[in-house]
Amino acid sequence: MDSTTAPHRIPPEMPQYGEENHIFELMQNMLEQLLIHQPEDPIPFMIQHLHKDNDNVPRIVILGPPASGKTTIAMWLCKHLNSSLLTLENLVLNEFSFTATKARRLYLQRKTIPSALLVQLIQERLAEEDCIKRGWILDGIPETREQALRIQTLGITPRHVIVLSAPDTVLIERNLGKRIDPQTGEIYHTTFDWPPESEIQNRLMVPEDISELETAQKLLEYHRNIVRVIPSYPKILKVISADQPCVDVFYQALTYVQSNHRTNAPFTPRVLLLGPVGSGKSLQAALLAQKYRLVNVCCGQLLKEAVADRTTFGELVQPFFEKEMAVPDGLLMKVLSQRLDQQDCIQKGWVLHGVPRDLDQAHLLKSLGYNPNRVFFLNVPFDSIMERLTLRRIDPVTGERYHLMYKPPPTMEIQARLLQNPKDAEEQVKLKMDLFYRNLADLEQLYGSAITVNGDQDPYTVFEYIESGIINPLPKKIP
Amino acid sequence: METSNRELQAAEYLERHRIKELVSYLTSALLFFRPEKPREYLISLLERLRIAKVTGVAFPFFMDNSNIVAMFEMMDSSGRGTISFVQYKEALKTLGLYTEDGDLKDDGHIITLDKFKEEVNKRMKEICEKTKGKDSESYQTAAGLLLLH
Repeated sequence: MDSTTAPHRIPPEMPQYGEENHIFELMQNMLEQLLIHQPEDPIPFMIQHLHKDNDNVPRIVILGPPASGKTTIAMWLCKHLNSSLLTLENLVLNEFSFTATKARRLYLQRKTIPSALLVQLIQERLAEEDCIKRGWILDGIPETREQALRIQTLGITPRHVIVLSAPDTVLIERNLGKRIDPQTGEIYHTTFDWPPESEIQNRLMVPEDISELETAQKLLEYHRNIVRVIPSYPKILKVISADQPCVDVFYQALTYVQSNHRTNAPFTPRVLLLGPVGSGKSLQAALLAQKYRLVNVCCGQLLKEAVADRTTFGELVQPFFEKEMAVPDGLLMKVLSQRLDQQDCIQKGWVLHGVPRDLDQAHLLKSLGYNPNRVFFLNVPFDSIMERLTLRRIDPVTGERYHLMYKPPPTMEIQARLLQNPKDAEEQVKLKMDLFYRNLADLEQLYGSAITVNGDQDPYTVFEYIESGIINPLPKKIP
Repeated sequence: METSNRELQAAEYLERHRIKELVSYLTSALLFFRPEKPREYLISLLERLRIAKVTGVAFPFFMDNSNIVAMFEMMDSSGRGTISFVQYKEALKTLGLYTEDGDLKDDGHIITLDKFKEEVNKRMKEICEKTKGKDSESYQTAAGLLLLH
């Protein structure tokens, strides 16, 4: 409470709880809504907001030139995410709204409606139950900057904005092959997206305005407007090239829409690196510790230090070292707990490697409360590991470590006197790898949200993958 | 950077309804009690606050003498019977009783337990009188003290 006399010691359960339940994001969303609507009575408003529980529903805007496939992508996304689709047509054809009836007349005359009316329709539609509960996808709206600003003033903000783009010539060509199914409203194409059932084929119609001239005019209009709309959504925008098969576009769009944006939530990394011997765990841990100032906790190292310092634990561990037996789990956990409970580990976060080796150790770790928030599996094929480990040598005179392939000794004299660590002999390495692979399946099941990294690349590439895994929010599991 | 009108409006809204203190209180409660279902817990806390406001009953956990003494003792770690001016100011801020009108002067005298008690009680009474226990201020101040005992 009073931080002038004693430093605040925050128990580690608090940040863990905060991270798991996304408390920061919860509060941030609530505060955002409060500031947008500024109700006179904040408390009932907050209660209502919490009841809605819709922080994570899809709120998507899809923009793009004519013939880019917007409507197709929007419809597929809708089916996949089970959200509501909003287009100009279905807003105007809504039979239950008075505003829609007014708009319909104008629409039938001129094919467009004034922005103010459109935005009013959108506001009405988004206040309905299904949009609140299951999210919404806006197809082709906002078209102009005016519409974008009006939507923003009402406090309607999408979480993801996708802009499809393709060269004009491709689009003009593509538009000539457009066909519409009058019953379902789905759009097909003579070359790229032909429906398999012959009954659909028979009832397809040619839409009215797809001649080259008309498409070119529409494209001109689009380019004029889109340049002014894009700056309204700086951090949530993604441009996807529409000049590829629709399944590819859909796949890219879906992955983007299901990813979370980085938040400002306070985050103390507690990283666990798992992988067979020789996969580069110690190196990656050292790099992480150096760059992000985490505490590098290597299990084997800890035990050796305990023995060397002749602490109480060291005395207990020493007989196992002498007999070359594995240290029992209980003792191991005690040594680990001692290190991980220290203030610097709690405050700065840690990188753990070398443990757990099997399911029992993993369960013990969990029961002691040391839950990592990022787990990485470093995958390296057997041959690469053999190459990395069996060619390691050490120079007994200078103590310098060499590798016959990656860091060869400079002179023949040095090479003559190099020695190999008996632990790096082929049979030993094979034994250790077998041990790891036997336990791999169990560990993978336990750490369900772990990220697999290809460890068979140069260290800095692997490091970048691990970094992006730590910094970006964990991918949402698809239910 | 010039602050736009909307931004100033928003800042003023936050100030008027004391939203920052409220959110701080809610977050601290969540992290301290760590309920299984954070949303439901938040809803229950907010409902209690709403009822307290509507019925005009001051929120149950008031700051009483023993709490003030306990707080003082926490700050006075060496047991001298006095706390420094900085600590005193910080304590008032924590209780939400610190106002910017600058009537706190560091007159070189250190604060004793009695002076502290007197000041806290005076300010609590001021706030309760001002709002007659009906406004967000009084119950939020009291509510914030939930975590101190």
